Amino acid sequence: MQQDQGGWIQRLLRSSSEHGGALLGLVIAAGLLGLPALVFGADVAPAAPTEYRDIPYVGSRNVIWVIAQLHLLLAGFVLGVPMFAWVCEVVAWRGGEKRYDKLAKEFTKLLTSAYSTTALFGGILLFLLIAFYPKLMNYLTDIFFPSFIVYCILFLVETATLYLYWYGWDAMQYGGKKTFHIFLGFMLNFFAFFIMIIPNSWATFQSSPVVIAEGTDLARAWAATWNPTWWPVNIHRIIANVVLGGYICGAYAGIRYLSAKTPEERDHYDWMGYVGNFIGVFGLLALPFAGYWLMREIYQYNQQMGITLMGGFLSWLFILQAMLIGVLFLGSNYYFWLGITYRIPGSALKYRRPMLAMLVVLLLCLAVWMTPHSLVASLEEAAKMGGSHHPLLGVLGVMSAKMTVSNLMILVTFMSFIMYWRAGKQDTAGWAKVAKAIMGAILVLAGIAVIILGVWGYFVPAIIRINYFSTSQVLIVIGVMLTITPLTALLLKSAKTTTEMVWGKMPPRAGYSLVLNAVMVILLMTLMGYARSSSRVHWHVYGVVRDTSQYAFSPALGYASGIMALCTFFFCMIVAFIFWVATMGDKAKVATTSPSKGELPHGMPAMAGASSALDKPEERKF
Amino acid sequence: MSEVARLQLICLSVVGCGILILLFIKSVFPRVIGFLAIVLGLFMLTALAVPQMASLPPVEEKFDIATVKTPTDLAAIGQKIFFSKGQCALCHTIGPSESARCPDLKGIGAKLSREFLYESLTQPQAYIYQDYRHEGLPKMYPAEMPAINKNPIGLSRNEILSVIAFLQQMSGEPISINPSELDVPGQAPAAPVKAAQSGPMAVAQAH
Repeated sequence: MQQDQGGWIQRLLRSSSEHGGALLGLVIAAGLLGLPALVFGADVAPAAPTEYRDIPYVGSRNVIWVIAQLHLLLAGFVLGVPMFAWVCEVVAWRGGEKRYDKLAKEFTKLLTSAYSTTALFGGILLFLLIAFYPKLMNYLTDIFFPSFIVYCILFLVETATLYLYWYGWDAMQYGGKKTFHIFLGFMLNFFAFFIMIIPNSWATFQSSPVVIAEGTDLARAWAATWNPTWWPVNIHRIIANVVLGGYICGAYAGIRYLSAKTPEERDHYDWMGYVGNFIGVFGLLALPFAGYWLMREIYQYNQQMGITLMGGFLSWLFILQAMLIGVLFLGSNYYFWLGITYRIPGSALKYRRPMLAMLVVLLLCLAVWMTPHSLVASLEEAAKMGGSHHPLLGVLGVMSAKMTVSNLMILVTFMSFIMYWRAGKQDTAGWAKVAKAIMGAILVLAGIAVIILGVWGYFVPAIIRINYFSTSQVLIVIGVMLTITPLTALLLKSAKTTTEMVWGKMPPRAGYSLVLNAVMVILLMTLMGYARSSSRVHWHVYGVVRDTSQYAFSPALGYASGIMALCTFFFCMIVAFIFWVATMGDKAKVATTSPSKGELPHGMPAMAGASSALDKPEERKF
Repeated sequence: MSEVARLQLICLSVVGCGILILLFIKSVFPRVIGFLAIVLGLFMLTALAVPQMASLPPVEEKFDIATVKTPTDLAAIGQKIFFSKGQCALCHTIGPSESARCPDLKGIGAKLSREFLYESLTQPQAYIYQDYRHEGLPKMYPAEMPAINKNPIGLSRNEILSVIAFLQQMSGEPISINPSELDVPGQAPAAPVKAAQSGPMAVAQAH
């Protein structure tokens, strides 16, 4: 037997020398491919079930981290885009502007490829989780099995609805069929919402598990699903998905705008960038409120977890978060201001001073928001500061100050939007003066009230501040938005347009600012994914299933930021690929049907929809 | 070269590549990638500029009964647990602090009996202690004391006793816990420390 083996090896060596390095290369390649199997094999203990598996060099945790983050980002994208598309379709349906319908259709087209890519990453994630974390997956399956079945059924229904919605677009354009198509779009979002909240229940249960009483499988799954952070995360994520969808649309429009060759293309992508940024900002204004509610629920569930997040080793993370949100607010406002300057001729001079004032307020607010307070400091550092908090900065670093400035930033951004909305229009209604005075008073009073509550917050116990003052600040800002938006809409209904909006005149930096906004949102999602996972510290399921693997630690921010940047880069490339694939056919169509040189194209390449001028062909004849 | 320095070098290279792309390439898509590289590189550099703290799982303090000869040995173990596995220092201070999330524990070992301390750690809501040393109403704290003998902290009886020994020592009190009271592995655990005889919930006032 040994001789046989020796002969086999000798034959192999001889063969390798005869065929050069090819065979040897194959053997080495096969050996390398088999390495993970060896590692898996080495981990298998005959006595006890395997709890963890690993892969060499990269590490199982890093692989799961990247795949899970990409899946989550893609999921946010495919859940955000249908909302975005459906709103655009409804706007076209009610308002009669066809370009919105075309925009909705083109974004829905992305869904088929984006949806399959998301499912692909979901599948990979599931396989990897089963392979790397069998103990945890076994535990979660035991609790959540009934919801797995519901999840699968929802996927089937969602897929069928998506097919009907996408393939029936042209066939269901008019009359009752259009109404049915709108209903399909609604159902698409309805099912998507449930597809989102079911996995949310698994993830939130890991962070905030509840006691699961004895009972049927369904009762146990329901008890675990209805955990304290489930709904705050659901609401937070649905708003974040709208923001992501809007800003990605904006970024796409920005890139296409930069590479546009014809005036029509520039018109169209400028307009698309405006729509994307608008929807992104619309969601962004509500996002901090949802985030505040989530954080409040975390504190109520377990103070230690809240403190680990806000005052423990993750405290610096929130400074980074403030920086990213600050850049996002600045980027969104900057885009509005560029719009006022370049799209509405003559407005630049009129609005220069308010824009400058808003920029100063935003920068000051950002400076306060980024002021650290409760940081883990060594004894030496604390001694140098003269205590656990910095004597000067500590005053601005407290939650009372941060809540105040975040509300002020929302107010300023809202003002930017209103300013953009009103630019180039002259009020004609008789009650316009009174309405404008009321709106001005509301804004000023709200700003003062937010600041007073913020300052007062220093002198009351934390519980009163959290329960009453901060909530009041949030309600005041929401009240402002709910009052001023309909008033402005009513006012502008009868207003006279003094300056027509000119599309396609934005400078290239507008396109880059749209890209920057999208990157900030993606980075924020990756950052908060790390925060949510790290808040569980060394637990798979907080306080219940302990992480006993070699990866039961949370890496420092520097290392984590590398993974976040990597995920952001991969996600951007995947989305670019999806856009490229989805619009390839249109480009080919345009190429084959393109008119002779010098003539205007009959349709817009890639993203159809064209400019507003293309909605009125009769006007273009003259 | 430290890991942070190595990562900073990588980030600078990424930012540099981005700048070179923007300077020398005219095609839009590569330029956008260059821009993305600059943004991501700057983000990483910022993240590397803040203090680098990893969250390590708590070290399982080996409670070797054989090494505990005196109450002082017990207090030394208690001090380690106070600042690590017990997570006490996450909320409590030893010495006054206006922004403390929870009561100051300076001198607590002298003020409260060991039985009361044990109960406060294991059944924090059973007997609420309100401190009237402040002017006006008792100070309210945002954080609520968790049961320290349950997960996620889950201290054992021996560990809790050692923390109490530390609190007494830190308050200048003689340590009232004798190493002979500790549970010995393999033997039936001793009865829990009896708390003050009281109803399920009461309020104590320190005047």
